[in-house]
Amino acid sequence: MLAFLRKNQVLLSSGFCLLLSLYILTAAARGHLKQDPVGPILLWLMRPLQIAAQAATGWIKEIDQRYATVAGFRTENDRLRKRIQELEVERNKLLEAQATNQHLQQLLEFRSHLPSGSITASIIGNSASSWFQSCLLDKGSADGIRKGMAVVTPLGVVGQVVSTTSRSAKVLLITDANSGVDVLVQRTRARGIVSGSLENVTIMKYVKRSEDIQEGDRLITSGLDGVFPKGLMVGTAVKVRKQSLGLFQYVEVMPAVSSAQIEEVLVVGGEPSQAKN
Amino acid sequence: MKLSLLFFAVSMLLVLLQTTFLHLLPLGPVVPDLILVLCVYWGLYYPNVAAVLGSFALGYSVDVVSSPILGLNAFAMSLVFLIVYLSSRSIWLHNPLISAIVVFLASLVKGAALVLVWAVFLSMEGLWTGAARYIIMEALVAAFLAPFVFGLLRRGQSYLEQIRVTTE
Repeated sequence: MLAFLRKNQVLLSSGFCLLLSLYILTAAARGHLKQDPVGPILLWLMRPLQIAAQAATGWIKEIDQRYATVAGFRTENDRLRKRIQELEVERNKLLEAQATNQHLQQLLEFRSHLPSGSITASIIGNSASSWFQSCLLDKGSADGIRKGMAVVTPLGVVGQVVSTTSRSAKVLLITDANSGVDVLVQRTRARGIVSGSLENVTIMKYVKRSEDIQEGDRLITSGLDGVFPKGLMVGTAVKVRKQSLGLFQYVEVMPAVSSAQIEEVLVVGGEPSQAKN
Repeated sequence: MKLSLLFFAVSMLLVLLQTTFLHLLPLGPVVPDLILVLCVYWGLYYPNVAAVLGSFALGYSVDVVSSPILGLNAFAMSLVFLIVYLSSRSIWLHNPLISAIVVFLASLVKGAALVLVWAVFLSMEGLWTGAARYIIMEALVAAFLAPFVFGLLRRGQSYLEQIRVTTE
């Protein structure tokens, strides 16, 4: 018996892991997995590393941006190039400071229009898989963030908190195929659900063929999903097609917020109410 | 022991890379799946119980940081390890091209497993058409990177081996 176990230990342990993962999947899908014992520890371990790596990523982006800016002046003489580089470095610093200031002011002003208890958080990590559109925030349940809270910026809706640990929170972006935001067409008040798809496009579903919707129409949150306050910008309709068959129109949406370009977000708490957008 | 520590450090580094730096690569929505490459490496060269648990833990880590439902990637990575382990008994050639092919096929297996489990637990419209593009792109990127990752891991191992020999 012992010899059999030893001989087939890899096969048996693989089978055990497969069964364990299926058990976890089933429990998580049915909502029976109330507490994940390992996840918070892992996130706790990763958090400082992710913060450091995110800072380095920002640095790389800045270098890349600076290089692109300077690249246009290659043909000019050395003195001018050096001078331009110096000015560019200084300018970037000033612009960064100004942009940060402006951004924080916008956040503060925007926060005053949201339900009380809104929390400012920074994005410290992105999805580790191409299959999911999510990001990690540097604040968690200890800061008052709870599952189901809306994540927004002054530009519009970012996503929804799907899980938290004490010091971090996972956000499912509206561009993820599993997400759904109840929206209204601002011009005609037609309703639909904005969701991501695996084809890397964001679409508005369930828009009846009879509804008037045109390219360029702005989509705002309806507030009916109980997650996002009413009136927040979600995106713009960029492609509208009435298919030959079917009850609904095909509407492709350009999200108002690109997750790649945001650093700070607001996590909206309290009861959803009307936001001034 | 030192080898286990090396693999642990590499695992942490890969999860960190996949959540941060690899998003800077101009590959559109595809994030290179280096974690899968590591699981394949284990399945080919280190088929033991620790590697099985390592593959499961890596998949679980991906679930914790990005998946909307726990267990998806843990299942896929465990399955990939098992299949690579079973097929490693028939693979006699070990060169960069073979490793790239094995990783390509393993990535296809992982993609198919994800889609199947997804279809069961998270029903979604147009899943298959959207998934096919992802699966192929991910597999191509992983296959392209596999020889480099394998080479780095072998170098790390031989460095540890040298240290062991000199200390003895």
